[in-house]
Formats: sequence, C-alpha cells, structure tokens
Amino acid sequence: MISPEAQARLEQFKAMPIDGQALKKLVEAGLTWLRANQQTVNALNVFPVPDGDTGTNMVLTMQSAWAEIDNLGHRNVGQMAAAVSQGALMGARGNSGVILSQLWRGFARALHNQENLDGPGLVRAFAEARDTAYKGVVRPVEGTILTVAKDVASAAKYALAETQDPFEILERVVPAADASVEHTPELLPVLKQAGVVDSGGKGLFYILEGMLRYVYGQPLDTPLATVQPLSAMNLENTLESIEPGQDFEVVVDFVPSGSLDLQKFYGELETMGTSIQVGEGEGMYRMHIHVPTENRYHPIDYVMTLGTITKVAMENLLAQMDAVGQKASPDSIELANVEPGQIAVVAVSPGRGIARVFASLGVAAIVEGGQTMNPSTQEILSAFENLPTDKVIILPNNKNIILAAQAAKDVTVKNVHIVPSRTIPQGLAAMMQFNPAGDAEAVAAKMGKSLGDVTSGEITTATRTVEIDGVSVEKGQVIALMNGKLVLSAAAVEEACMGFLDKAEAASHELITLFYGEDLAQSEAARLVDVIRAAYPSQEIELQYGGQPHYQLIISVE
Amino acid sequence: MKISLVTDSTSDISAELCAEHGIEIIPAILNLGDESYQDGNGLTREEFYQRLPSLPVPPTTAAPSVGSFLERYERLFTAGASQILSFHPSERLSGIFNSARLAAEHFGERVRVIDSGQITLGMGFQVLAAAEAIARGALLENILGLVEGIKQRVRVVALLDTMTYLRRSGRVSWAKAVVGELLNIKPLVELRFGIVERLAQVRTRSQGIQRLTDALHSWGPLERLAILHTNAEGDARQLLEELKPRLPIPPLIVNVTTVIGTHVGPNGLGLAAVPAPGG
Repeated sequence: MISPEAQARLEQFKAMPIDGQALKKLVEAGLTWLRANQQTVNALNVFPVPDGDTGTNMVLTMQSAWAEIDNLGHRNVGQMAAAVSQGALMGARGNSGVILSQLWRGFARALHNQENLDGPGLVRAFAEARDTAYKGVVRPVEGTILTVAKDVASAAKYALAETQDPFEILERVVPAADASVEHTPELLPVLKQAGVVDSGGKGLFYILEGMLRYVYGQPLDTPLATVQPLSAMNLENTLESIEPGQDFEVVVDFVPSGSLDLQKFYGELETMGTSIQVGEGEGMYRMHIHVPTENRYHPIDYVMTLGTITKVAMENLLAQMDAVGQKASPDSIELANVEPGQIAVVAVSPGRGIARVFASLGVAAIVEGGQTMNPSTQEILSAFENLPTDKVIILPNNKNIILAAQAAKDVTVKNVHIVPSRTIPQGLAAMMQFNPAGDAEAVAAKMGKSLGDVTSGEITTATRTVEIDGVSVEKGQVIALMNGKLVLSAAAVEEACMGFLDKAEAASHELITLFYGEDLAQSEAARLVDVIRAAYPSQEIELQYGGQPHYQLIISVE
Repeated sequence: MKISLVTDSTSDISAELCAEHGIEIIPAILNLGDESYQDGNGLTREEFYQRLPSLPVPPTTAAPSVGSFLERYERLFTAGASQILSFHPSERLSGIFNSARLAAEHFGERVRVIDSGQITLGMGFQVLAAAEAIARGALLENILGLVEGIKQRVRVVALLDTMTYLRRSGRVSWAKAVVGELLNIKPLVELRFGIVERLAQVRTRSQGIQRLTDALHSWGPLERLAILHTNAEGDARQLLEELKPRLPIPPLIVNVTTVIGTHVGPNGLGLAAVPAPGG
C-alpha cells in the first residue's frame, strides 16, 4: 500500500497527459533508479569469472539514451521516444544493453507520431517492445530480460481491462515485473544453480520501478546505501564515466568505532561528491568517492569522525584521464591499410598484445573491450565508419559483444558481416581465412566455418564460490574454461593450465598457443611453457604477450 | 623446320626428361656468401635446404648473363635449329626473362621468348607439352596455341612452412605488408601469371595439407601433376599416397630448385597441375 502523499501525487499525474517532456522525466527516473541499484544488478553474476557487468552495461545504455534527450524540447511523445531509442541503440553495451535498446526501439515504434501516451498506447508500446526484443536475439532464451519484457507486456494488457490510465497500468506492471524476475531461476537452470535471479531482468525491473517511484514522489538516488563485499568493488571502471566536478578520486579504508548508519553515511557523502561506493570485508570498510578539487579532504575529515582510518588513497582523475587518452593512441600497433573496395576487419580485443597480433594478421580496426568491458554499439560503429571501404567484417571475440556488433550492423549503411567469434582463439582462427580482396560474403562464410578449428581455453581467478556444470569453485581458486564452459578449478595457474590441456586433448593436436595476460609475469609464462613442453614434446608451443586483464592465460589448441 | 626448346633451371625439369626431349637448360645463379653456384652444380638441393636456416647471410639469386643465353642460342642454331622457343619465369619475379629477351634481340624472329607466368613445373609442363608437340610434328602456331592454353589453365599452389623467406625475398608486396607478423603463420600461396597471391594462412601443417588436397580436388580432371617440395620428401610421398586413388596419371615428385627454394624456405610443400581443358 502506498502512502497518502504518494496517492495524492499519482492523482496529480493522472490529470496530466504523458507528452514528450513527461516521458523524458520518466526515462530520467528509470536511469537514476537503475544507477542507484547498479551494484545489486552487477552482483547477479552466474559465472564466477570477471564479467561484463550487466548493471553497468544497462546504466551506460540508458545514460546514452538520456544524453540524446537531455536537451530536447519535444512535446510530441513519439518523437521523444524515437530519440530515446536512438540514444539507447548507439550506447548499447553487452547483451543486456542491446536487448534494452531493442525494447526502446519497439516502444518508440509503437508511439510513432503520437502526441501523448495513453493507456492503450502504453500497452501497445510494451507489446511492440517485447516483439522487437525477441526478434533482436537469434535464439531467445527464457528466464532472461526477454521473459520479463514479455510478462510486463501481458500484465499491461490485463491491466487495460481495469483502467485506461497509463500510470495505473504502470502501477500494475511493476509488481508483475518483480514477480517475473523472481521466477527466472525456474526457467533458466544456470540461474538456479548459481542461486541468483536474472540480472538483465532485474535491471529492467529497476527502470520500471524507478518510473513508478518518480510518480509516487519517492526518492530515487539515496537508497543506494548498500554495502558490497570488498572484492566486488570495481573501482577501475569508474574512470570511464567521469563528469565535470569529479576531479579527485578518494578511497578511504577505515574501521568504524560503532555501528555504521549507512543512510546517514551516504547522505553526508552525497553533499561532497558522486560515484559513491562502500565496501566491507571482515569489519573493514572501504569508501570510494569522486569529488571536486575543493572538497578533496572533506571525505577524509568526515570518515575520521566515524572511526579509525587505516589507509587513504587520493588520485587526480583529470591527470589520469589524460594518461588514459595517451595510452589509447596506437603507437606501436600497425593496423592494415584498407583500400576502397577491399574488406576491412574490425576486431574486439581485450589486451594490447592481442590487438597487435590481430593487426599483424590484417585487421584494419581494433575496438578495445572484452569480457569485463563490453564495447558499445557506438564504439564498434566508430571503429569502421571512417574506413575508406563499405565492406566490413566484425569479429566480436566474445559472446557478450555479438549483439552489440549486430546492432552496429543494423544502424550503418555499410555492408557489414559478423563472424560470431566467441573467444580470442576463434577470432584468430577466422583471421587465417581472411582475404581482403575477396567477396565479402564468401570470405565471411569461410571465416565463420573456421571457428570450430580451435579449442579455446581461458584461465582466470574465480570471483565467487559456486557450483556450475558440476564443478565446485571456491572464490579465489584458479579456474579453466573450455570453449566458454567451466571445466575445472585448481589451486594455481599451472595446475589449471595443465588440466585444461588434458581436457582439450592437446596430445592429439599440433599447436598450443598461449597468450599471457597483464596479471602473469613473462618469466612465469615462460616457465609454464617449459612445463608444457615437457608434457607435450611433440606439440609446437607458442607464447605471446596478450596483455588482457583478469585472465592470466588465453589458450588456443589446434 | 627444326624447333628447339630452351628454358632455365627454375623450370625444375629433370636431367632425364631434358635428355629425353632435347630440352636445353640455362642455369640460374645462386650466391651463397662468397661462393657462386650455377643452379644444380656443386651443391645438392638436400644439402642446400639443410644449411639454409642457419646461414648467417641469406643467399641471393641472380639471372644468368645475357651472354650465356647468346652462347646457347648460337650453339643451337649452329646445330641446325631454325626456330627457338625460350621459356622463362615472369619478369615480375625474376631478371631471367629480361636476360633472355636481350639475347634474343640478336636473332630477330628466330628466337621467341615466352613469359610462362610460372615457375617450377608450372613452367616445366609448358615446355614438356611443347616438346611432345614437336615430336608429333606440330606446326609452330599450334605449339604456341597449346602452350598458351596450358599457361591459362596451369595451377601452382604451395604451403610454406614460414613467412620468413618469402618476406625476405622482397618479391611479394603483401608479404612485406605483414612484416609485423607475430604469430607463426604458414601461408598457402598460389602463383598465377607472375603474381604470388595469398590463398589462405594456416597455423598447423595438417590444416595446410588439407587445403592443398582441397585445392587439387577443386581443379577437376588433370592432364599433368607434380608434387613439389623443399626437402619435405616424406610429406610429399604421404601426399602422393593420399591422392593416388584419385589420380589418372602418376605425378612427378620434385625437390624444388635452390633458386626458388631460397625464397620459399625449407619444408615447403606444393602442387603444380594442368587441369584438362574445359574443366
């Protein structure tokens, strides 16, 4: 039951039409509430691997939609929805982001040329959103954001029997979305196994709930007062979205002297800065915040009143941003020159070493990204839009990037083929078939056929304790994935690597190629090669610097 | 009218076949450090390929002098030839064609220098077909037509064990373009009309051999076939065993001349084939 104040505000809203400006407010509310709950969505991760975080991907997608409409004065709801759709599409990251952008696309299509949004219009829009999203996925899987979108559309349709008012329909849709999310583990066994609900569905729920909270006049950003496990704090990626006024990053570790009042803690911090995250582990708390220069000591002074500070780290983000900008300049990567009429390949690469290898094989453009950082549709698009040819082949090299590549294909006038490589070794195998002067369709088909030529291995450290595919994993253990499936856990990289090679039947293959990541020293990688050589004397073994984050090794067996 | 045939050592026609058909071979030149060899003399192919990877200075190749062509043509005319056909690799690949052309200018129409567009048996088969036609008493125009037909149909593909030698040769533009290549890649190349094209690249030898046999099967019925290698006779024999059931003709097995091998590297494997017309 809602409060009398909320009921009063709802009545107020019902008196006004939902025009373009009202939709804008709702979108902003959905984004704000999703962002407030971003970490909760991120934590719903099935595999214990460092992953492209769904919450972050969906927030960035919505943020791009918001950036598109922020300054738009349209009163026409159809035009506003079209702009939301366009922005979401260009910023779509990860599978969930792409599906979210498809939802908006369908939503906008149903509202084409509409002045205002009424109840039947909303029901139509939810239905069209559902249909468009299902069509945007090659093999729709139930128990995901798609199911939630479907249940939302049904709930809206049933609500129409009781009310014509769009807000009252929204009131009925939000609990239905919640129930649908809770039901996802029954539909998708991997969720049940991992003991989580679907993250994309949860994200969609937060967007809808945020809209309703806005209507009720409930706060949208403060209840972000959550504490995450220390290990789950992802402070690296916060750099990507620095806005003006976020000059310094301050991280303070402390042990509170009493119990910490989180609501009050967050409230105080919010007066100082943004991007607040709080983590806890074994009684120690870590606070993360971005603040303007003049406030840089305030969080430290404040935390000091709450307990004992054990460590303070402060970084100048502006200087760091400059450094990131410089690092991105392709100093030693020599990309292939494409001539008009030739085929250009765009490859997604998680590490500098891997990017160099792709470049050496004739790739014309590299998009930085991978498992932990899914590039947006816009980033993929920008990579090839200025190339002097119309023929483009995209190698996503990750299953979470295939849809964003597809979205990039859908918005460009260029002739784009996607070779759905799911791993780096698959992408490299495809490049073996590449011929820039060939017929694009035939070349892409050949490249696609070659994806099965290799067995892919990935060695990483488990981010949490779980049992998946019959393999028990303790957080912190080293795990091996074979062709994307978890196959074993081990105490150390060497054991995981040798175990993988055994499972991949390396003894009956010819060539083992290892790409070592930024977390593995070259000397350790070289030592590992000696161990492998001793065990596989008749195989050729090649060691390359990959430079990928989180994954100590990416291995190709062929 | 007596028609005589001249070619150079890059045609890879064996001494026995040359003797049988009266084909004259001008040796190309291989420079190994301070030593200079006439192709086929003083250094066996086996020995050369064994030494190639460890040579401190890469060997170089050179066209035979204009004088050596002049001398040979002169000798053939003295021996009664009325027409000479002189077959050589494309100008794009070697200076041999030019040496021959400069020498031929002294004899006017009596020496026809033919750009075979090929090397090794891709060229050798053109010469052998001409020899057989001469033996049948064919007319010059018919011989030239026959040779042109083979030049159009002949296929030469090779699996290189490494890019290193081809890149070093400086003869192939795309090989230079991928100079930053990091992975160990085995390119599959085809020579057509004097241009080395990259068909594919593979990372394991068995994938490459599979590609070779796939290519062969795509050519349809064959008139002639040679299995080429650079000191990989074992692989060549194995390939022969695999192909045998589908071959109407016994192929030649040829350890390729050092002058070509310098640019290909050891352990290469290839095919030269003449598909039947209309195939």
